Amino acid sequence: MTIKIAVIQFPGSNCDFDAVHVLNNVMNVDAELIWHNNFKEAHFDGCIIPGGFSFGDYLRAGIIAAHSPAIDEARVMLKDGRPIIGICNGFQILTEARFLPGALLRNESLKFICKWVNIKVENNKTAFTNRIEKDSVLSIPIAHAEGRYFTDNLNELEDNDQIVVKYTNKRGEISEESNPNGSLENIAGVCNLEKNCIGLMPHPERASESILSPKGTTHGKLFFESMIEFIKKRGF
Amino acid sequence: MPKVKSNGTELKVDLTDKEITQIKELLNREPSITEWGMFDVMHSEHCSYKSSRPKLKFFENAEKNYDRVLAGPGQDAGVIDIGDGYCLAFRIESHNHPSAIEPYHGAATGIGGIIRDILCMGVRPIALLDPLRFGTLKNNPHSQWLLKYVVKGIADYGNCTGIPTIGGEVEFDESFESNCLVNVACIGLGTIEDFNHAPSRAYHPGDYVILMGGSTGRDGIHGVTFASRTLTEMSEADRPAVQIGDPFTKKMIIEATIEAIKTGHVRGLKDLGGGGISCALSELTGEGGTGALIDMANIFTREPGMTSFEIMLSESQERMAFIVKPEGLEDILAIFKKFEMSHAVIGRTDDSGVLKVRDGENLVVNLPSTALSDAPTIQREEKSPDYLDALHKQKTPEPTKELKEIMHALISSENICSKEWIYRQYDHEVGVRSVVKCGEGDSGVLRIIGTDKFIAASVGTNSKHCFLDPYEGAKGGLVETCGNVIANGARPLAMVNCCNFGNPEKPESYWYFSKALDGINDFCRTLKIPIVGGNVSFYNEDEVKNTSIKPTPVIMIVGIIEGAENIITLPFKKPGNDILLIGETKGELGGSEYHSVIYGTEGGVPPKINESIIKATWEFLLELYSKNLVEANHDVNKGGFIITIAEMCFKNKLGANLDLTDSNVNDLRDDIFLFSESAGRFVIESATKEHDIIMEIAQQHGVLVRKLGNIIPEPKIIVRGLKENDIFLDVIKLKELHASTLPDLMEI
Repeated sequence: MTIKIAVIQFPGSNCDFDAVHVLNNVMNVDAELIWHNNFKEAHFDGCIIPGGFSFGDYLRAGIIAAHSPAIDEARVMLKDGRPIIGICNGFQILTEARFLPGALLRNESLKFICKWVNIKVENNKTAFTNRIEKDSVLSIPIAHAEGRYFTDNLNELEDNDQIVVKYTNKRGEISEESNPNGSLENIAGVCNLEKNCIGLMPHPERASESILSPKGTTHGKLFFESMIEFIKKRGF
Repeated sequence: MPKVKSNGTELKVDLTDKEITQIKELLNREPSITEWGMFDVMHSEHCSYKSSRPKLKFFENAEKNYDRVLAGPGQDAGVIDIGDGYCLAFRIESHNHPSAIEPYHGAATGIGGIIRDILCMGVRPIALLDPLRFGTLKNNPHSQWLLKYVVKGIADYGNCTGIPTIGGEVEFDESFESNCLVNVACIGLGTIEDFNHAPSRAYHPGDYVILMGGSTGRDGIHGVTFASRTLTEMSEADRPAVQIGDPFTKKMIIEATIEAIKTGHVRGLKDLGGGGISCALSELTGEGGTGALIDMANIFTREPGMTSFEIMLSESQERMAFIVKPEGLEDILAIFKKFEMSHAVIGRTDDSGVLKVRDGENLVVNLPSTALSDAPTIQREEKSPDYLDALHKQKTPEPTKELKEIMHALISSENICSKEWIYRQYDHEVGVRSVVKCGEGDSGVLRIIGTDKFIAASVGTNSKHCFLDPYEGAKGGLVETCGNVIANGARPLAMVNCCNFGNPEKPESYWYFSKALDGINDFCRTLKIPIVGGNVSFYNEDEVKNTSIKPTPVIMIVGIIEGAENIITLPFKKPGNDILLIGETKGELGGSEYHSVIYGTEGGVPPKINESIIKATWEFLLELYSKNLVEANHDVNKGGFIITIAEMCFKNKLGANLDLTDSNVNDLRDDIFLFSESAGRFVIESATKEHDIIMEIAQQHGVLVRKLGNIIPEPKIIVRGLKENDIFLDVIKLKELHASTLPDLMEI
């Protein structure tokens, strides 16, 4: 048996091919690009909601996809404890679908930002960070216009260990200068209470091969390695 | 403007009286009003190249003379074979006039158009590059407004379609103040099989003609004829002629088109751009030697009550025309349904050689397929401008400022400063191919996944040099863009160009165009670089101020790097290593940044190009690469080699200890030596122990190489061995100046 992971393709997804490439060619698992209307959860051990501009980001980033049948399928996986990650637009979709708490607002600068940043792992007990040491500082790129994380339940998030990664400087210090988009408490990624679903604004699929990284790192791979490890432990 | 009449309706057209007579003679009747409109658009400068064709025909036949060229000029994009079964398609074009009127949608739809051009070669668009030109920004809210919204238009459109913007170029000069230049370039990657599947021709009678994508609306009617006129104050009233883009639909069109091509059922493909359905159908059938019968009732429109004139001439965005084999129709329609794209079978091809459009019972168009594409050419007069002699005689004034102060002014000047404020807004990494990213090298470098090949691409030219000498200046643009890809380790493979000039009816403007094309032609023949496409934008003038833009023949070069280990990057890497200057520095400061920033003049003699030295330099560098002797490379551009060295220090916060005693071979004044813009030079980093072998190889190639000094770990640049005082520069200070100019001007 091989591990089967779905990469859901909404109209307007554009990091879909990138995620499939990394899973198939770098992680060597069986990833399938699947058109949103054809997605059936029963065939998969986990799923990735990739970045992009689903449905053109019309109305509000992520909201149309959040109400699609594909997300209803994913909700079955969520309840069942299988791993789900939303990257960038995928994170926006998962907050709109209430898989994850909070919301992603326009960047403080009101501009799209594409750059490599540092993030620190706050919680390494999730389906996507179990192979990473706590407090590790990772090098990874962001590319978004609406990535400013906000919640009015920060205390709850902290109490429940739902903050997964935060933007920091390269020494792992949280500061205003290292916050690229004005996110509350520099939050770059969060998880659900059960820790099987996470959302990340940074793009791990763009940071999984040394040739693409300015510093030659492959920190993005760690999220996918953790996912595979989580699936193996669960049994598939 | 002349008027034509048909059945009591009157239409203003941009056609000449001679063209009107010829059209009537050709048809032997009075054309319908829709046909008049089609002729008007298809005979516009933008579609017909009627002023430029007499010059363009001197370009050599790239398809015939170079094995690697699969499609050359006249196609929607140039296509080259890069080995291993892959091909690259690339093209550059202008969207100047729409962007000058409405920067956001003008720039966005420019991106939309260039993506469609690449897509209709049957390949996936994988990268965008954008050469831009504006008036100077300082104290100029209009130029700031244009820059802000052009960049936002490119970012919003490109980012949404998932095509990374991997490079570009920006120049600021007063001459572009009301007529900014927005050129857009796109690269596509696919297999040669994909390319062969989708010619932009309808060769077979009996095939279905399908329209797919956005609906046809009233926007952009006569956008093309508008682009072929000069901008005036009245142009603000032309806003409805600027189309509105929809990048989300474009993304769906890309995916649906690629999936359709993979079926093998598509036999022809054409995007709807300038001239809309008229232009696309006439090119498909005219060039393919077929005809077609189209039923207007099947063309889906955005609003009811549109006339045949409006439907045939609408330039609504996001539309593609497919020619499909009868047996493949169901499969293709199923793909369009999957992507929820509007589509309709609007007619079939036939062997009549006539393009017919039916509106109910009436044939509103009934024209020989080739009639529209046979616009007559016009031989324009040319004359060199009287002011050039006086400009060439201008000398570089004696510097009144310290060299350090001049250096600070140059590094923070609008043309030399960091363009990070712009490229941070572009998603330059989507697609996981970007290996050398914006700001890290002279060109953008992309990997081809599944191979060990890399694409390097660069765009640019120097309009100030071209203004003083269009022949040498155009060659200089080639030296610069080829130099950019070579600096990253690539061999230049082919070029396309985008010629931005003034009104061709003015002999001085046409002279600039003519001389620039001679320069491009001569250089490319000598250096064996195939010209695989081009675009000409005339009428870049501001009639209110009675000024023309500086002549701007933008060059786009693509090259290939074989093997990841052969990618060279810009930053200095290791303290102790040598810093070498490749190429000769002459007193060539005409049109330099030094002149314009420090003295406010633009005269003097610009750099001259010696093709045999350029060729020798390229071969020399490629040999050094093959022996792994180069650690970093950056070509010398605006501001001279001292600016080049400063830029190489920035990323790793290193410094340079220079002794220039032996390197000033022409005994130039210090300021002239440091800031000269002589073309074809590079600064490289290499290990000290390799010095002798490098000098030996240089001698074999007859290339001048001088060691300028060494890299030092402290972030400072020390310049000794000048005729006057030594210079001490703080790299951190220079970097701050370099980085802060655009944010300071653009962020309020």
